[in-house]
Amino acid sequence: MANNPPFDLRKPVDFAIIGSGSAGGILAKELATAGFKVVVFEQGPYRNAADFGHDELSTIFRFELNGDTSGQTFRHTADQSATARPLPPAEYAQTVGGSSTHFTGNFWRFREIDFKERSVLGPISGTNFADWPISYEELEPYYTKVDWEIGVSGAPGPNDAPRSKPFPMPPMPIKSSGVLLERGAAKLGLTAQPEPLAILTKPHNGRPACIRCGYCMWFGCEVGAKSSTLAAMIPLAEASGNCEIRAESAVFRIDTDKQGRASEVLYYDAAGNERAQKARAVIVCANGAETPRLLLMSASDRHPDGLANSSGFVGRNLMFNAHSAVNAVFDEPLNDYKGVQVTRVIHDFYDNDEARGFYGGGGIDARPLWSATPILHSLMGMPPDVPSWGAAWKDAITHNFTRQMSFVGSTTSLAQDSNNITLDPVATDRWGRPGLRVTYLDHDDDLAMAEFLEDRAMELAEAAGAVKYWPFENGPSTGSPHLLGTCRMGDDPQTSVVDRDHRSHDVPNLFICDGSSFVTSGRGQPTMTIMALAFRAADKIKAAAAAGTI
Amino acid sequence: MPSLYVSITRMTVAMNNNNELSRRRFLLSASALTASAFVRVTGASVVAIAQAACSARDSSAPFRSLSPEEAADIEAIAARIIPTTGTPGATEAGVVHFFDNAFAAEMKDSLEQVRAGIVHLNAAIGESSRFAALSPDAQDARLREIEHSDFFGLVREMTICGFFAMSDYGGNNGHVGWDLIGFKGHNGGWQYPFGYYDAQVHGGDGDGE
Repeated sequence: MANNPPFDLRKPVDFAIIGSGSAGGILAKELATAGFKVVVFEQGPYRNAADFGHDELSTIFRFELNGDTSGQTFRHTADQSATARPLPPAEYAQTVGGSSTHFTGNFWRFREIDFKERSVLGPISGTNFADWPISYEELEPYYTKVDWEIGVSGAPGPNDAPRSKPFPMPPMPIKSSGVLLERGAAKLGLTAQPEPLAILTKPHNGRPACIRCGYCMWFGCEVGAKSSTLAAMIPLAEASGNCEIRAESAVFRIDTDKQGRASEVLYYDAAGNERAQKARAVIVCANGAETPRLLLMSASDRHPDGLANSSGFVGRNLMFNAHSAVNAVFDEPLNDYKGVQVTRVIHDFYDNDEARGFYGGGGIDARPLWSATPILHSLMGMPPDVPSWGAAWKDAITHNFTRQMSFVGSTTSLAQDSNNITLDPVATDRWGRPGLRVTYLDHDDDLAMAEFLEDRAMELAEAAGAVKYWPFENGPSTGSPHLLGTCRMGDDPQTSVVDRDHRSHDVPNLFICDGSSFVTSGRGQPTMTIMALAFRAADKIKAAAAAGTI
Repeated sequence: MPSLYVSITRMTVAMNNNNELSRRRFLLSASALTASAFVRVTGASVVAIAQAACSARDSSAPFRSLSPEEAADIEAIAARIIPTTGTPGATEAGVVHFFDNAFAAEMKDSLEQVRAGIVHLNAAIGESSRFAALSPDAQDARLREIEHSDFFGLVREMTICGFFAMSDYGGNNGHVGWDLIGFKGHNGGWQYPFGYYDAQVHGGDGDGE
């Protein structure tokens, strides 16, 4: 892959984009192919498809794609002292393409209700539950752009939001876990529909179809069939001749000039040397944890509480999406480790229902989960009544590995002030940057919704004919790969960080687009919406540039 | 996406309850966390381990980090964790070489702790014998006395990793771990149907090959 020659650090590029993931990769492609000079900063290395493998130990248990997560700390509430954890609380990949390289590819669109639920339901006390400043109708063309340009396979479900164009390719053929979900759903009067996946079922835009190797969740795709921005966007950005991907470059500050405009991006190169790139405009796409950290690190006399933070909303309203899982063992082999994770999902519980007694909504999908790889199955997927070693343990894994699947619930999270990203006062990362401190305690309604879906999943397992099934207990989250809401969009500069077009309220040439832009969490699969927002933001930014208003 | 976070979180919460089920869940949780700690310490030098593995798996090659007595005891513990029954276990997988490689490289900081664990294990047995020389029943009885220790937790997780990780790491010799559970993950891509239930939709025999 041709990397473009580096741009001159002292000569301003049109756009410095910080982050090469789901949002950054799309903005890079859209702006570079429109003729703008773009530098994309990525903390991690430049891996290509050929660099991804099937090594479970290094990929899942050594967090190879996550890179160095030193400095991250976690606490549930502000009165606790945050500590380092064995697993990073903010879980994202540091590699070109970001977390889109290692995602599972579940690509749910939001529905109309997700953008205006506060108006429909009214306020929820103690939360920052709010409407989005944009509607589904405004975002729909960009969801369709994701379908066709990024590559999404699927088929419409009975209650999906309207779409202006069909899926570009059919859904993945159903797996045994999907057949069993359908079986359970039919008995309970529910509907299991094909899962939309950011994984190709047919060759598309010069990329090959999935070879069904089974290494999707947490792994990079070795053939480029998974629709990461690494596979779908970055090659186009580079082919324009206008885009440099500057890997292994960790940004620590965005500087502003006397006019209060973003002027320069300061970063550490691979050797740890400080560098600075001048830019006419800056777009932060570093994810819902790293974006607020960078803005807070960029505090100055002009912006004492952090860049773009006159509202105090930078870092607030962190949302993880709550989850539940029920494992189930069946009589015959599913061999569900083969192929993609999810082929069927139930959306009957999408809408809020007052009769439940709490706010929320979500979906239940069928997948191998822990049973996609053997070490994960051994450490996470064994039934609780089986001894942890010896012949009985060996008998159980020998029998269960190919016969086991999970019913996974994904749900809403409510926006709260108390859930946030701040700078750790003590911990630092490898470059000495202030550590990323995560403070998070799920809202009671989030946990209640996860438990509700767990109860439904238990019924589904029984109805599907499982010979044995067991849940995980509900409990507060201590981390997530879903990092949402920390620089929310809105029309009111007092209660939001960016406007409806992703321009920061405070700094006219600073844009922010990634999971941090979310106002609400959706029902548990955010990446499709992150990508749609990025395509829309690119159009708005191009229009502003053409109008001379950046 | 549900992830490790789901279960670890939930099982950690379960430890606050006192019933037996919750206690077991906590143990599973702690085990998973230790595994993460283990793999973190093991670090990034996969290549170094892989290169060392080929020679180490040759049974005539000397161990790199473990003494012959230590290796025998670890091999014996691993053989009780994943015993050889009618099917191969940790011994046939050569799991001890996974340990030896790890302790020679990224896990060398843990070697002293493991040595102390082996000494403690043998202290209760008496000077005339060692753990490796006990009968399987006596070994199980001794291990049950220490099964909640950090030492046993670490050895258990390393046994599992050595049994199921890619053979390049030194264990899973001839893919016996994968073959045991019907995992053919090293074969590459698959054709439908994959299993019994989707074969009812797609036709075919459902072995995915």
